[in-house]
This record gives sequence, structure tokens and C-alpha cells, in this order.
Amino acid sequence: MIRSAVWFMIWSSTAFACDEIGQRMTSEVQNAPEVYLSVDEIPLAEPFSVLVSICSETTVGQMRVDAIMPAHRHGMNYTPKVSALGGGAFRVDDMLFHMPGLWELQVDVDINGQSVFYSSKITLK
Amino acid sequence: MKLWFTAALIALTGAVRAEVLLSADEIEQTLSFGPWSPSFHSDPSNRVSNNARAIALGEALFNDPVLSSDGAFSCASCHDPEQAFTTPEARALGRVLLDRNTPSLRNLAGLRWYGWGGKSDNLWAASLHPIIEEQEMAHSPESLKTAISESAYIDDFEAIFGVIQNQDPELVLVNTAKALSAYLETLVADRTQFDDFRDALERRDFPAAAYYPEAAQRGLQLFLGRGNCVFCHNGPRFSNNEFHDAGVPYFLNETEVDEGRFGGLNFLLSSPYTLDGDWNDDPDKHGAWAVRNVRRSHADFGTFRTPSLRGVAETAPYMHDGSLRDLNGVIRHYSKINTDRLHTDGEAILLQLNLSEQEIADLVAFLMTLSKASY
Repeated sequence: MIRSAVWFMIWSSTAFACDEIGQRMTSEVQNAPEVYLSVDEIPLAEPFSVLVSICSETTVGQMRVDAIMPAHRHGMNYTPKVSALGGGAFRVDDMLFHMPGLWELQVDVDINGQSVFYSSKITLK
Repeated sequence: MKLWFTAALIALTGAVRAEVLLSADEIEQTLSFGPWSPSFHSDPSNRVSNNARAIALGEALFNDPVLSSDGAFSCASCHDPEQAFTTPEARALGRVLLDRNTPSLRNLAGLRWYGWGGKSDNLWAASLHPIIEEQEMAHSPESLKTAISESAYIDDFEAIFGVIQNQDPELVLVNTAKALSAYLETLVADRTQFDDFRDALERRDFPAAAYYPEAAQRGLQLFLGRGNCVFCHNGPRFSNNEFHDAGVPYFLNETEVDEGRFGGLNFLLSSPYTLDGDWNDDPDKHGAWAVRNVRRSHADFGTFRTPSLRGVAETAPYMHDGSLRDLNGVIRHYSKINTDRLHTDGEAILLQLNLSEQEIADLVAFLMTLSKASY
């Protein structure tokens, strides 16, 4: 009974911390924790912000964010600013997509001491 | 889905059949080029932005040779208000022949970067640099302070900025630039035939939209589609305000090159006049994120800021060095672009379009409608 209660608390804590809102990012790493990308609207050639939620029961360390246009062979012209909000959530500011088309948003997260790569496709009109 | 709308005005006017040729997706993209004119927002980095007295002083200074050290010429000598705030020479003529084409000065309010190489992140800094540039106005802060003190503008200057003798020469320089900036941010290109078309599409008023010439519509379709022009020329200003390699040679002569954005960034990052600096009047330093976070890359070498296409028919010649005489030449440049001239490690956007003569004419027809002159 006590063990059940402890497990419930852990599950509750994780569920509370992990905001499963937005687009689930993909990773080629097997059993990688779920990561969600939330963004309201992306204005063309203007700065915007995104929220990244990492659903991991283990320690989440640093996170790095970047984006590329695979077809155009270029990335962003600015380094985004990443702020940890706690509970596996991060706010990313100063993103800027300066061209319409297919972008790939890339996230590198240190989870339990290992770097795990995630990406999401975003088409900007 | 093609709309292929046949306008009802035929019956009313007996005019030639007119159609809206754009697909629903093309209409959606077209709406992103407006509305025009843009709403005005004061520049928080400039405490005299939108100040009527500063605007009047800025206009007077802009047109007066007092801002050149020897009284030889004014800002308007190169940025002629009667010629869309530019001149028809390929390269600007200051005290010497400069390296670049004179950019028009309209629609500058609120941009992220200024100049072909983006060496300024705000309009007052972009106004300041030519005043002290040796090849242009060639003032020192000290000589400028003397010139303003002895000019007919001293009363207005002091009414806006306080007693000049209490001001350090560098402060006089910055204040002068901020008055110029207050004036420049009021310069906006007129509405055009394209804007009427775009707004009619937004209202779903297809009979009104059908007045827009079919050649211009076909040119717009190329602009949005196969031409890929919209990659860089987007938004209400028709510019993403970033930097690209357009395949124009950047050799100035056998031994010198125009570094473009590479040199612009070097200048910017050593300048005290950025939004991240002490001369910014905005305590929150809105907009300083760009200079703080901008990335430097070897591929910046020889890239130049995407020019706005608003009023483009009035601002020939074209490209950073003014090497293309007219819009027809610009379209032909992109149609037959020499991709060997592009950075091997740069972005992969441009390729030969091999446009037909009809397609070239259509693109020019579209670009002409971005200027008031096409009415």
C-alpha cells in the first residue's frame, strides 16, 4: 500500500511537470522520453517564442535549440535564448524563421547525463 | 483550386474580360504583402521619435549642407526627395565614388537592420554614421557641434535637446541623428495598384480585384511560385530584412572586395550606437536581442540585405552596386544566374529559372505595380 502511494506521487509529479500540449517531437533514440513543442503562431521574419516540455522522470539537464531549412541548406541567423522553467519545461525566445517553407526545429536535451536529439517539421507560409 | 473568376464589370462597362487568375493558396500568400500603409509605432530607442518639432528639425537638417563638414552637400544630395530618396547613379558619389548604390529611404521605421551590410540595428545610428564617415559628410563630433551652434537651427535644437553648450560633442552627434531619424521614420511609400488588388482580395471583392492587369497577376504567380522571389521578398515591405548572396560579383577591383554582411557585422559589433548600447533611450532595450544573438558565419561574406520592393520602379539602378540598369535586367540576372558565383557553403536557393520573354515581361509588369507611378 505504501509502495502504491509512492508510485502514485511520482506519476502525479511527472504528469504535472510534463505539459503534453502541442506537437510531439520525434527522436530516433529508442524509448526516448516524450517531448512536446508548443507554439501559438510563427510570424514570418519576426521573432517568436516556443515552449518545450520534456516528459522525463529522470533528471533533465541543459537543452539546446536550433532550426534549419533542409532544402535551402541554411539555418537561423540568430542564436535562440533558452530558459529553464522547471519541471522539464523550457521557454525558447528569439527564434526567427526568415523564409517561408519547410523548417526543421531541432532540440538537444541532456537527459540522465545523455544527449538526446529530437526534431519537428514546421511548414511556414 | 483555381478561381478563374470572370468579373461582373464586363456587363457594366463593356470592358475586356478580366479575371482573377490566382489560386486560393496564391491569394492567401498575396494577403501577406499587406495591409499597406503600416501602422506607425514610435521608436522607443529614440526619445524624440514622433515629436513634431524634432521631425521638422530633422527634415530641415536633412536638406541642409550644414551636416557636411565643408558645407559641400546635404543628405538630400544623394537621397534626393524628388527621386524617391535616391539618385540614378550606379554608385553613390560622396567625397569619392563610394562602393555601393544609394538606397532609398522610405519605409525604414522599425526595421531590424539598416544598410546593405546591416551595420546598424536602429535608424538613428544609420543616420549618424554618414555624418562622421570621412568619405561622406566628414564631420567630427566637435565640428558638428560648432556647425549646429552657429546654424539657424540652434533654437530648435535647444528647444528639443537642451542647451547645446552643456552637451558633450558626442551627445550633440547622437541628438542630431535622432532628429534625422524622427524625420526619416515618417517617409512611407505610397499605396499602389497592387495594394488595391490585395485589399480587394481580402474583401473577397473579385470584380474590383479583376481590375489588376492579368500580366501583373501572372508575374505575381511567378514571384510566388517558380521564381522563388518570395523566399526573401516577403511581408508588407517585400523584404525579410535579412542578408543573401544574389550572385552579384562583390569584387570592387582586382584586389578589393565588398565584404557585405561580414563587414557589416564587424562594424555593428564594435559600435557604441546599437540598441544594446548606452545611447539607447529605451531602458528596456527592446530590439537589442538581435545584436546580442546575431550569428556570424563565413557565408556572410558578400551577402547583402534584401531590399524592399515598395516603389522599386522609382529606384533604378539595382543591386548593392547598382550594376543592373533596370528591372528587366534584374529579372534576366536571376533567370540566367551564374550559380558558380554563389557561395559553395552558402544557402541553396537560387538556380537558373530560364524564363521566357513573356514571363520576364510579366514579372516586370508585376513589379511596376508596386510603385505609385503605375497608376
